[in-house]
Amino acid sequence: MVKNENMKNSYKHERYYVRVIKYAILQIIAAILIILWLMPLYALFVGGLKSNIAAAATPALLPPSKPSGDAYYFVWKGFGGIYGLIGLEYPLLREILIAVPVAALATFLGAMGAYFFYIIMNRHFVLSTIGFAIISLATYLPVETTTVPLIQIVSSLHIYNTYYGVIIAYLMFYIPMSALLMSIFMPSIPNYLLEAAKIDGASDWKVFWKVMMPLLVPGFLSTFIFTFLQIWNNFFIPILLISNPHLMLLSIAVRQYAGGYAIIYNRSFAAGVVGSIVPLVVFIFLGRYFIRGLAALGGGAKGV
Amino acid sequence: MKKQAYLMVIPTLFFSGLLLFTIVWNIWLSFQNSSILVHKPKFVGLATYQYLFSQYFFKISTMHTLVFTVGLVAVGNVLGLLFAGLLYFIPNNVQRSIYLSIFIYPLAIASSTSALIWEWLLNPTIGIDWLLKLMHLPAPYWLGTSNMSLVSMIMIEVWAYTGLAALFYLASFMNIDKSIIEAARIDHASDLKILFRILIPNSMNGFIISTALLFLFSFRIFTIPFVLGGSATSPTLMTYVMYVYNLFISEYFSASAAMAVIVTLIAAAVILPFAILGLMKWVFRR
Repeated sequence: MVKNENMKNSYKHERYYVRVIKYAILQIIAAILIILWLMPLYALFVGGLKSNIAAAATPALLPPSKPSGDAYYFVWKGFGGIYGLIGLEYPLLREILIAVPVAALATFLGAMGAYFFYIIMNRHFVLSTIGFAIISLATYLPVETTTVPLIQIVSSLHIYNTYYGVIIAYLMFYIPMSALLMSIFMPSIPNYLLEAAKIDGASDWKVFWKVMMPLLVPGFLSTFIFTFLQIWNNFFIPILLISNPHLMLLSIAVRQYAGGYAIIYNRSFAAGVVGSIVPLVVFIFLGRYFIRGLAALGGGAKGV
Repeated sequence: MKKQAYLMVIPTLFFSGLLLFTIVWNIWLSFQNSSILVHKPKFVGLATYQYLFSQYFFKISTMHTLVFTVGLVAVGNVLGLLFAGLLYFIPNNVQRSIYLSIFIYPLAIASSTSALIWEWLLNPTIGIDWLLKLMHLPAPYWLGTSNMSLVSMIMIEVWAYTGLAALFYLASFMNIDKSIIEAARIDHASDLKILFRILIPNSMNGFIISTALLFLFSFRIFTIPFVLGGSATSPTLMTYVMYVYNLFISEYFSASAAMAVIVTLIAAAVILPFAILGLMKWVFRR
């Protein structure tokens, strides 16, 4: 009896050490991967704080010996005359003024579309399948496939080199995407709420606005943030539809500071920081909404 | 009462219709010979496609697209699975979600910024090669030779998109009934055994989702090869979507449209089955 107890204890003891070692190995592997994944971000922030010569001559992964904000000042103002580079101050403002309202509009209109798919899903199977196929196609199709028709539509409407063209192109891709994301969030709302509101004589708009939307705030926010970041990070549509440097959007303005003819060392890092600071801050504070939006792309993977 | 719902779907229908219209327009254009060299374009049947298939850039972009896509799908799936396994066995919820966020953040930042950072990190004197030399490891010229550029590109893609695969694998691991894992633990199954015998075999949906999404994300990648390659006309990293743009700026409009049709067909062959057989079923018939 006593012997048996002892054996049990020693067994438990061993298990405890094994568990601790296993846990330590797990954490060490995770830490190595985390460091590898964060390395580019670290190089970005460190590089922008170096002086010009230091950035070109010292390893990208070493911190600056004497931090300086020169590069940020330069990319912010641009000193257009000197290198023909555009400062990032106005492109950043323009990007905010375009990305926020367009993302909000796309999310809202997409949510209305998703509501339609949601209520006809049980009644018109073929119709809803076709609709769902179309919005999925619009979500996942590479933007570049629309190059020639897009430029022809935009120039025949005489809106080449204006923001109207860019906004129409964004809406063309991101309203269907929002509709898809919202149709993935919507089925989590129980059907009987809709039925009850309908029996009480509420119109579709009232059901959507008063019943669905208050319950869908997290899904709506996820869709909005996901769409916002997609628009913010979009590179192809602005480069295709805007050639006037005075209308440049942020992602294109950042690219001036990379490679090509304009390798101006520390400034490319600073430009990268300015280009990604808003997405990074959004990701740090509202990352779970972004991740939920991402998960919705794969059918709303539940449990994360 | 139902009329209002039909009104509400109009914006979505209008803009998706516009997108479908651009696809149809591409098909129509691809059967003509519209380019800067032709004054009055006329119908030429499949001649544009024949022209396209004979081009060197077409062959090289096919090769690159294939390498990038297969590379990302293979490496991304394996790493995503292992990352998800790692995260699954981390007992602390807060820690797990922070780690997952760190694997996912490359998807949130601008791809023009990622391209710019990697251009520096792959620099042979001051980039990661500096660290590799310091540790007496082989330090390749990342963007120096054409084969190494492809490897570098896959590496950047893996950095950018593995978080996606990890997210979906972790989600499907979390969906597996906890009692099965408890039962395995009582039978003294090791963590590795649980991962390979229980978690992975039961994550078919995670595999389907992450394969489809990794394929589509890799297939549409434009900014990073565009910036790293130096310009839209540089063949070193040219992919299908870059070739569409390249043909457009060199004003071969019909050839560009034909290329866009090819891209659309390949993408649609993955998107439509994924959307109808996968997404719709999971979302609406659960």
